[in-house]
Amino acid sequence: MFAAFDFDTVSQLTANGIINGAAYGLLGVGFALILGVTGRFHFAYSITYTLAAYFMFTFWDRVGLPIWPAVLLGVLAATALGVGMEQYIYRPLAVRAGATALLAIFVASLGLTIAGSNLVQLFWGSENQILEGPQQEVINWGDVAFLNFDLWSVISAVVLVSILAALMRWTDLGRQIKATRVNPELAEIIGISSHRIYLIVFAVGTFLAGTAAFWYSLKFSIDPAMGLRPVIFAFVVAFLAGTASSPIRVFLTGVAVALLEQYTSIWLSVRWTQTAVFVVLLVYLVVLAFEPRRVILSMFPQLAREKV
Amino acid sequence: MEQAEGLVTSAISGNGESPDALVVEGLYTGYGRKQVVFDVSLRVGRGEIVALLGHNGSGKSTTIRSILGLLPAQQGAIHYRDRNVTGISSSHRVRDGMAMIPSERFVFGDLTVLDNLLLGAGKERDEKVRSRRLEEVYELFPVLRERSHQRAGTMSGGQQRMLSLGLALMSAPKLLMLDEPSLGLAPIVVEQIFDTVARLARTEDLSVLLLEQNVGQAMRILDRAYVMRSGRLILEESAEQMRARDSYWDLF
Amino acid sequence: MNYFDQVLIFVVFAVSLNLLLGYAGQVSVAHAAFGAIGGYAMGFLVVEHGWNYLPAVLLGALVAMIVGTVVALPALRLSVEFLILLTLAVSLVTIGIFTTFPVLGGTYGLIGIPQAEIFGYQLAEPRDWILPLLVVAVIIYLLCRRMGESAYGRVLKGLREDPDATRSLGKNVFAYKVSVFAVTSAMAGLAGGLYSGYLQLATPGVYSFDTSLKIFAIVIFGGIANLMGSVLGAIVVVLTEPLLERQPFIDLDARDASLIQLIIYGLLLVVLMMLRPQGILPEGFSIWRWLRGERGAAARAEMDAEGWVPDIDPATLRVGAEGSEETREREWHEAPVVLEVRGLSKRFGGIVAAQELDMDLHRGTITALVGPNGAGKTTVFNLLTGFIRPDAGSVKLNGTELVGTSPEHVARLGLVRSFQDVRIIPRLSCLQNVMLGVQGQTGEHIGKLFFAPRRSDADERHTRELAMERLRFVGMADFAHVPGGALSFGQSKLVALARVLVTDADVLLLDEPASGIDTKWVDTMLDLVEAVKHQGRTVCIVEHNLHVVGRLADHTYFMELGTITAQGTIAELTSSERLAEAYFGTSSVTGGGG
Repeated sequence: MFAAFDFDTVSQLTANGIINGAAYGLLGVGFALILGVTGRFHFAYSITYTLAAYFMFTFWDRVGLPIWPAVLLGVLAATALGVGMEQYIYRPLAVRAGATALLAIFVASLGLTIAGSNLVQLFWGSENQILEGPQQEVINWGDVAFLNFDLWSVISAVVLVSILAALMRWTDLGRQIKATRVNPELAEIIGISSHRIYLIVFAVGTFLAGTAAFWYSLKFSIDPAMGLRPVIFAFVVAFLAGTASSPIRVFLTGVAVALLEQYTSIWLSVRWTQTAVFVVLLVYLVVLAFEPRRVILSMFPQLAREKV
Repeated sequence: MEQAEGLVTSAISGNGESPDALVVEGLYTGYGRKQVVFDVSLRVGRGEIVALLGHNGSGKSTTIRSILGLLPAQQGAIHYRDRNVTGISSSHRVRDGMAMIPSERFVFGDLTVLDNLLLGAGKERDEKVRSRRLEEVYELFPVLRERSHQRAGTMSGGQQRMLSLGLALMSAPKLLMLDEPSLGLAPIVVEQIFDTVARLARTEDLSVLLLEQNVGQAMRILDRAYVMRSGRLILEESAEQMRARDSYWDLF
Repeated sequence: MNYFDQVLIFVVFAVSLNLLLGYAGQVSVAHAAFGAIGGYAMGFLVVEHGWNYLPAVLLGALVAMIVGTVVALPALRLSVEFLILLTLAVSLVTIGIFTTFPVLGGTYGLIGIPQAEIFGYQLAEPRDWILPLLVVAVIIYLLCRRMGESAYGRVLKGLREDPDATRSLGKNVFAYKVSVFAVTSAMAGLAGGLYSGYLQLATPGVYSFDTSLKIFAIVIFGGIANLMGSVLGAIVVVLTEPLLERQPFIDLDARDASLIQLIIYGLLLVVLMMLRPQGILPEGFSIWRWLRGERGAAARAEMDAEGWVPDIDPATLRVGAEGSEETREREWHEAPVVLEVRGLSKRFGGIVAAQELDMDLHRGTITALVGPNGAGKTTVFNLLTGFIRPDAGSVKLNGTELVGTSPEHVARLGLVRSFQDVRIIPRLSCLQNVMLGVQGQTGEHIGKLFFAPRRSDADERHTRELAMERLRFVGMADFAHVPGGALSFGQSKLVALARVLVTDADVLLLDEPASGIDTKWVDTMLDLVEAVKHQGRTVCIVEHNLHVVGRLADHTYFMELGTITAQGTIAELTSSERLAEAYFGTSSVTGGGG
């Protein structure tokens, strides 16, 4: 059960953790933004992730575009899809369902995911597809080995999250997004259109997911079920970090989760590491349930709309 | 105590020149099945300070929410600066110069003072105009300049109220509606805020609709008052007539 | 025949999930995981330890029940989003655990479970399973139906819609939450034991997250709290795939058919939510009632008419001449004290909600609590009824200390409140809403529901009579079967009044009884409150409309910044200059008129 605890192994695991963490972090930031600002439990985030990969593949393989335009178009197409979900499904539903909106949106989101993942199988088949882009190279840095893809994915993730953080901190739009998240009624009173803000937030969140999907596809392959696990990690990271946290903090939480996943392999066999993260989530939720409400409310201000 | 001069002309006159910032006619509104406001008609002239008084739950807040456009008017019409705005979205009304400060949660607590104020500037793109307005707000409320990078929610109640007023002023409004601004504040702070509002009304051509239970303080600055009870208007009086009353208990 | 068996198994899954999700409102995506526990436990016992089939299935169900109970505990305090996440985590961890242990077959699961044998009969063919599965499905259906449509089910619905309002009527919603999780996970475990016995497999694929979603979809299609709908849903969902394969229009192979089936479910879920969030068949829908055309249409037409007033028996309102203010004040002082509040204090961070608050409520009188905005009046009600725990002080009801007791216990002891925003349960009929208030219903306990059925049914009839009586009292008897959500604000206030009256509580705290009521019959509402007082109940009202207070109150407390600063008759209070200052503010900082 106990593997050798040496510096080499730890460095490699750390590197792996950072690489995976960049993906988890990116997904977590996107999901936290959507959940935090709109309050919608956007389960269909997983299908926008998957479809980003398939769209890219289609543009590259079927339409014949070079890799980079194909990727860009693919991500943009998925982003349009995410925005479309908010515009044509979630929003009308929220207006109609009133008090039961949360459940109705969750169920609709579930339906979109089920329909989407099977549509993918119908049109593209269930076998794995390969996306071929730049040449894969292994980089050795001391005792640590990783791919060029890994390096670029981490850098791009850090850049994207930093841009988002800067946007949130210094631009008008960022302020308006934060305002909508923190006090939606007052935001409406001062003339911020929540409609517009929600669309923007869905666009940003979906874009981030699409980017993560790209790096995954390049390194591994594209398959219909690829969306489920990453998005579960997105939920985990978003909830652990708190949806009111800055993008940087959510991102770092993602890295922490990935590192945890890696380090547990030192003590536990691989079979357990898969489950370890979910066990941590479970423990966290249990602890949360027995904590004073004040703690929950401070982390998730959107839950503070209570009447007592 | 100065009296506002001659703003007692009626609403929309034949030749199109309307001195009124706001005219509400026969407003019925509420929340879904809960009817709250019945047949309310009022007006606020340009540069006038008008109070809407009444007990808690009499429908004052609901009325101004409908004026701003947050609640649809089930019946009746709302005219803002000689335009019929009934049915127009609230963000449009805000862009045209309507502003409201709610009675609760009136600042963005998790954001800094500066962020709050910049949010108030809204659609104003011109940097110079923004900076000027920001300076003006800081002149009015120096404490906000000192604490511009502090999280709004950590300031005292009075300071947050000042911030809420500053936030509203950043949009250079023509009609300002205040929902119980004196709630929970010390009398000295209330006096300061009311004095500022009164001064702005006189100098900046700002029309004010003030909702209050704290009649005493409001009395110093208002020109006219309406009184609501259980969703209906029961009274309209000038400031003089109000002051002549020996007790307000009948109104509530 | 194969499909018939599968339908029956999914009926058990769906009907039990509907009890949890539809009746109790607990959004769980872990239902298949409980099935997995049952299936794996059965498989393990039979394969590794040579148990007989039936005992193994039962033990599997027991294990699932225990796990379900444990899961319910954190679920008690979590909101919907977190509950979804919790059940998701449980689902993943459960499957994760099963795939980790080689003795449970690792990633492949348990295959080659021997054929089931019940009472000596080998269940070799699918058709052999029909009878046992049918028996189980019918039993589970009847159990769920009995639970859902009883007093117990009524509390579940209250838990679903408004847990706090339900607690304020004396129901311990936490106990119900745990019990419904326990029962439904046992049923899921049972279904799992049967499913794995039928398939002779217990694998992660069988009990995947997809399966949980399939069951979830069946419940949603069939309708929230509609068990017959879940049966229909199970039939439709299980049969769609073979139907798609066999239809003559488009040539589909098995794989495509199964994909299209799932696409259809997914899209249907979305479409369904957009059109009818409550499912195809509405709650409480019954074929019999629909055939009989009982729709309450007449009542609804009347209700929407202008100038509606409640239909109250004038005899109830004939109360005799009210005394003068002084007389009422004197009578107030002479009546014995029922509720004694001393030194009640509460701070929220920097804000003082209550400070050394002293108050008495006297038997058979109406006491009013007034004060300027922000004085904390509704908070006082929350402190008295146990929704908020005070920092210090004591509240004694007939000598019993209430501080530190849960809200449901406070209600049971005889202190009940109404809410400013009414909180009538929209999806229950007016009658059911009022029935929820009756105390000590036999049918609320699962045990008594099944082991003392005649007593439970008799008690239910009695509860219904009590509720109808109160509805008649407030003039809403014609609306007994109209859903709460269809009422106007004023009408729902009447039903809320009936609901607190039926609790037979000694002390009623009414939060703004007259606000939001049409001026045409607001006086009737005030008459009702007076009639309640004359029946011997003790009433305390919070009001902002001082005319209402003048009319109703025998004694008034004036509250400022969390403490009582004056008390007496309204005339006394309004003649005080200091109070006028506190209520209306001074005209200048230096004080005095201006």
